Amino acid sequence: MAHANPTGWKRWVFSTNHKDIGVMYLWFAFIAGMIGFGMSGIIRMELMNPGVNFIPDLFGMTEQQARHMFNVLTTGHGLIMVFFMVMPALIGGFGNYFVPLMIGAPDMAFPRMNNISFWLMPPAFILLLLSTFVEGPVGQNGFGGGWTAYAPLSTTGHPGPSMDLAIFSLHVAGASSIMGAINYITTIFNMRAPGMTIHKMPLFSWSILITAFLLVLSLPVLAGAITMLLTDRNFGTTFFDPAGGGDPILFQHLFWFFGHPEVYIMILPAFGIVSHIVSTFSKKPIFGYLGMAYAMAAIGFIGFVVWAHHMYTVGLDVDTKAYFVAATMVIAVPTGVKIFSWIATMWGGSLRFTVPMLYAIAFILLFTLGGVTGVVLSNAGADVALHDTYYVVAHFHYVLSLGAVFAIFAGLYYWMGKMSGKEYPNFLANVQFWITFIGVNLIFFPQHFLGLQGMPRRYVDYPDAFAQWNWVSSIGYLVTLVGVLLFIVVMGITLSRKKTLGNNQWGEGANTLEWTLSSPPPFHQFNELPEIK
Amino acid sequence: MAGEVKHDYHLVNPSPWPAIGSLAIFVMLFGAVFAMKPEANFFGIAGGSFGSWAFGSGFLLLIYTAFAWWKDVVHEAETGDHTPVVGIGLRYGMILFIASEVMFFVAWFWAFFNASLYPALPIEPGTFWEVVGNEAVWPPRGIETFDPWHLPFINTLILLLSGTTVTWAHHAIVHGDREGLIKGLWLTVALGAVFTMVQGYEYSHAAFGFSGSIYGATFFMATGFHGFHVLIGTIFLAVCLGRAIKGQFKADHHFGFEAAAWYWHFVDVVWLFLFFAVYIWGG
Amino acid sequence: MNVKRLTAGLMAAGAAVFGVTVGAFAQGRVGQPTAGGLWLQEAASEQAQKIGDFNELLMWIITVITIFVFALMFYTMWRFREKANPVPSKVSHNTFIEVVWTVVPIIILVVIGAISLPLLYWQDVVPETDMAINVTGNQWNWTYSYPDYGDIELTANVVQNSAFENANERQAVEAELSNFLGWPAKLNARLLDTDYRLVLPVNTKIKVQLTASDVLHAWTVPAFGVKLDAVPGRLNETWFEAREVGTYYGQCSELCGKDHAYMPIAVEVVSKQDFARWVERQGGTTASLLSPTLGR
Ligand code: HEA
Ligand code: HEA
Ligand code: CUA
Ligand SMILES: [Cu+2]
Repeated sequence: MAHANPTGWKRWVFSTNHKDIGVMYLWFAFIAGMIGFGMSGIIRMELMNPGVNFIPDLFGMTEQQARHMFNVLTTGHGLIMVFFMVMPALIGGFGNYFVPLMIGAPDMAFPRMNNISFWLMPPAFILLLLSTFVEGPVGQNGFGGGWTAYAPLSTTGHPGPSMDLAIFSLHVAGASSIMGAINYITTIFNMRAPGMTIHKMPLFSWSILITAFLLVLSLPVLAGAITMLLTDRNFGTTFFDPAGGGDPILFQHLFWFFGHPEVYIMILPAFGIVSHIVSTFSKKPIFGYLGMAYAMAAIGFIGFVVWAHHMYTVGLDVDTKAYFVAATMVIAVPTGVKIFSWIATMWGGSLRFTVPMLYAIAFILLFTLGGVTGVVLSNAGADVALHDTYYVVAHFHYVLSLGAVFAIFAGLYYWMGKMSGKEYPNFLANVQFWITFIGVNLIFFPQHFLGLQGMPRRYVDYPDAFAQWNWVSSIGYLVTLVGVLLFIVVMGITLSRKKTLGNNQWGEGANTLEWTLSSPPPFHQFNELPEIK
Repeated sequence: MAGEVKHDYHLVNPSPWPAIGSLAIFVMLFGAVFAMKPEANFFGIAGGSFGSWAFGSGFLLLIYTAFAWWKDVVHEAETGDHTPVVGIGLRYGMILFIASEVMFFVAWFWAFFNASLYPALPIEPGTFWEVVGNEAVWPPRGIETFDPWHLPFINTLILLLSGTTVTWAHHAIVHGDREGLIKGLWLTVALGAVFTMVQGYEYSHAAFGFSGSIYGATFFMATGFHGFHVLIGTIFLAVCLGRAIKGQFKADHHFGFEAAAWYWHFVDVVWLFLFFAVYIWGG
Repeated sequence: MNVKRLTAGLMAAGAAVFGVTVGAFAQGRVGQPTAGGLWLQEAASEQAQKIGDFNELLMWIITVITIFVFALMFYTMWRFREKANPVPSKVSHNTFIEVVWTVVPIIILVVIGAISLPLLYWQDVVPETDMAINVTGNQWNWTYSYPDYGDIELTANVVQNSAFENANERQAVEAELSNFLGWPAKLNARLLDTDYRLVLPVNTKIKVQLTASDVLHAWTVPAFGVKLDAVPGRLNETWFEAREVGTYYGQCSELCGKDHAYMPIAVEVVSKQDFARWVERQGGTTASLLSPTLGR
């Protein structure tokens, strides 16, 4: 039947096209990423030297205000990076653009719902940004209770409307993700090209499928938890208030029942991207394809039963802790399967070290480093020393900032040509990789030392003994800043070039369906469905 | 457009509703914050009665968007966009939506069981050391709960009955019996409405408050969200009734109705859990 | 008892008392982070010792794993670079190797678990203790009381930064602190020192009972290997036994608002005699001090 192709602003705002929506998601993630990255810069500059100086100077505020401002920035940084950068980029962006292409589908299952998934993100983001300008704690602006928003700091600790705005921001972002997830699952179950059995499906689609299940099953629990926050704050319920028989720990259970799957939500799509890149530039099929797919399924499944490893110090009874220690460590096994299978894919291959491949290799190495410190943390006995210190910060930035974000960079370099038809400047891109690589390691490796020495997280100022490594870490940020600016330059140059690329920029090895289409692919692909043998 | 479309998937036309809906949600929620905190001031823009107005207009716009959006969907269904394979997709979508709703209720049941299995004493800040070691019970002292075998039991019967009437309507559809369909739906909608009214009556006679005690919090939020879902389900069924009267359902093509029926059963099952856990066991 | 009132009274007793106790002031080490440090703070309790040993073992295990993965990767990158290996193999299965890389990690994890879980139970199950302290976290200070010794209660606030810049102010703070303790004391570090300190006897099993009055806090002393959340409306318990006289520092470890970084924990561990003397000085009941463990 007839199908309108609007142009101009309507093409984007009214879009029902998965590629356009994917592109909008990527731009959104990029903008949010810049804001989150800027916030981390303020954090790092404040922590560069002991004392509270940078934030008061920057914003022209008193030290007392700056102490709260720091918490607002940390909270905002965490929330933005998680909900408005990594998730939109990996799931909304690459997921939208490439899942239909890879499974040979003409679009997503629910193209119109796909659009509201995207269009809910800007309001959510704006609600979060607005929250910084209204009262949080008495007499201070913004919500500074951490991205985990633990009660009672997020209830009685922040009586102002700021927290309410942040809560609604999460509601909206959550609704967006749930609808997105339903869309992916339906698309993948229902719209694979003839002959593409689930066991022939590319690993990125697998990763999005599993991620989507995690989203559908975990986000509503978060929605419930923050609704309880909302009613506790505004309507006098006492879910988390001991004065009415409530329990602050309940919030942590609910939050982490979502929060732990959430960290795998952020990393599984990254796994998917890395698999494609490693296979392409090794010119070899993925080693142990089925093992790879079911390892992700196992990670997703076990991810639901380990949440309390974030709560070892809240006073759980010892048997509960023992269970969570054991369950958490189990995740290292399927993850190890993935690491070794990637290396095995490269083994015997004919390796080309293009920029996406460099990022993918860096991902494998640095994710391993971040993963093994996770195993240290999973031992409740040792976590007593490390919980809520910079060791944890180092752990999760190795898996997130050097894991998930590296996968975003890798994916962008890998698919930029496909999405735009334009080639990135290779030399500059290489330089960009190395600067960023050195920079982020310089930021986060020393944080292990700080954590071991006992430096707590979310501290605006610290005893002078922690000064050296904090200084190194902040210098690392400045190096990374150069890398990120260069990234913008590289992308700018790429986009200003002419479309020169054919169907398959990478040649032998790149054999998923998106490489059979032109670059960029036609507005509607697969009007005739491809047959998979 | 290049090439002729040779597949049965539904390439939806561009639509303004998602963007308008998002705008509505933004206005509504931004307003809601300031409706709850009227004393707050936002650069002189928000505060005072602004919140309620914004909330109200956002809400109306949202309702209108939902209406317009679904109208489009119904239109597409009528004009043949919902091929069999699209129908399967819609089924997946509905099942997953219900799955996410189930997880939403998990949160409320979690809160309930956390409070009832491990009850804690109400503690004023500062008096902690005095109450250490005292025993807490569920339901908390001083809370007078509902008798489950009174109105709640009647409501259980009403919902179970409505589950059978909706099944009756379904059978009628597949046998092309439009009259039976309409009758079954009328009954179901009526039963849903009665349930809501009974629930409202019960709420107004509660011997415990919504605020101040964990009992009231878990009770009213869990049953309240259920009640809200009953309302949604009733509206959903009422829409189906309207469509049935218009003759839009075919014996082999009536997913809108099926979705409503699934949703209704889901609401039903949640009630059974509430009835057994919150009213009987926890009461 | 209110600390202000208490110290005011003691001021009156003045220099005389001060003179008497000088001889017995607490020497010993300072438990705090070291500049440029790479590892856990030095242990001052068996708890911390065991955590440190276990953590060191874990560190070796993960280092070996990481080096193994890195080495394997670098070797693969070098050996199979395009130039060296222009024709890729097509091998994509090898059941044996897949079983190996599943089973070997399992074995490693079982080994870790076999050490980890006993440690956890040992740490977590509070043994028969000699005395207890009640700790309450507030925005933003700590209140300590000694249920076994009458109604001694004190609230410890951070020493303001200005005291570390201004010699006079520093002296005044140190004098007040010395007076409170009954022996001369010095400030050691910005953001770690508090105006009053929690005083505890050495070589004594101490039960810490923890709660909070407003939001979450966490009571942490790295040198003792202790970290536990203070939760409003809940009682949490842990224990430790300091084995060396000295001053030990920790910091609030659960985000609690604006001054989360400004509510440190300072513990003065003294000999049992000094502790008994301190309790007496604070007007606490000394009856239980005559118990065999403490009265020595
Ligand atoms: C992408 C995100 C991501 C990922 C993938 C992970 C992965 C893991 N995480 Fe992490 N984690 C976070 C994000 C993530 N985490 C965040 C954001 C926090 C902090 C939240 C907050 O408080 O703000 C956190 C905190 C956190 C804690 C709580 C710490 C504390 O607050 O005290 C714990 C404790 O168990 C933990 C454990 C683990 C484990 C065991 C894994 C495992 O999945 C890792 C498995 C991987 C490997 C082990 C490496 C590869 C394997 C091999 C090479 C095989 C051989 C290895 C062995 C035999 C060991 N994480
Ligand atoms: C994905 C998640 C993510 C990412 C990428 C980052 C990136 C960074 N983080 Fe952050 N961080 C968190 C998640 C993340 N962080 C969380 C959850 C917390 C805890 C919050 C809390 O305590 O509540 C935290 C806390 C945290 C702290 C501790 C604050 C405290 O405890 O007080 C610090 C301190 O140095 C820090 C620093 C940094 C720095 C320097 C970077 C980066 O600057 C490193 C370099 C990053 C890049 C180079 C990537 C830039 C990406 C883009 C620009 C997007 C590109 C995308 C497209 C083009 C589509 N972060
Ligand atoms: Cu008290 Cu942090
Ligand atoms: Cu986790």
